[in-house]
Amino acid sequence: MNVLARSARAAVKPMRMARFYASEAPAAAVSDKLRLNFAVPHQAIYKNTEVQQVNLAATSGDMGVLANHVPTIEQLKPGVIEVLENASTTKKYFVSGGFATVNPDSSLNINAVEAFELSQFSPEAVKAGLAEAQRTASGSGSEEEKAAARVEVEVYEALTAALAK
Amino acid sequence: MASPWKSAGISYLKFSQICATAVRNSLKEDVRVAAQRRDANNLKVAKWANGKAGEQKYIVTPKAVE
Repeated sequence: MNVLARSARAAVKPMRMARFYASEAPAAAVSDKLRLNFAVPHQAIYKNTEVQQVNLAATSGDMGVLANHVPTIEQLKPGVIEVLENASTTKKYFVSGGFATVNPDSSLNINAVEAFELSQFSPEAVKAGLAEAQRTASGSGSEEEKAAARVEVEVYEALTAALAK
Repeated sequence: MASPWKSAGISYLKFSQICATAVRNSLKEDVRVAAQRRDANNLKVAKWANGKAGEQKYIVTPKAVE
């Protein structure tokens, strides 16, 4: 906890000129728990649930979020979101992409288009999808079709890597 | 630095849709059927005249109906 508080202070310090930022950050640990909201358009997977830690695959890099994290907004890559509910339970979801906002009050909102637990994926379907997308990407379609196929290749590769673990 | 898909003229909405479709395709049979139903959005229109609805028409006829 000490290390955390120190790192949070260090991150807030350079922003001293921007007073609004410092006043919004929690002065002391209000709660040492992270509250998670995790929603897709058709379902709320977590609704204001207290969790220990959440690991995100953001476009700026992989990151772990604990309580009292510095507020930030991150764009999510197609990748794995790891929810450490408590010391013994960890759930892994694959999201197709979206956004995560870390709020000053230790709440974390994750919005994604699609999110499924890793156990719900079929490795064969991923393999078939990857082959198909690679074929289109190196095929003779239009530049836009090929760019779209390259995006698909990236998603399938991320899925392959996630399922291999 | 712009993403490669961005420079190819794909918008973020289109990009996220491509990603979501790929994710839905990779699911196991039972969850996939329900998920892929969410992928399609259809719009029907009908012209109203004298308090009665005219014939309902799809803007873009879905493949399943054709």
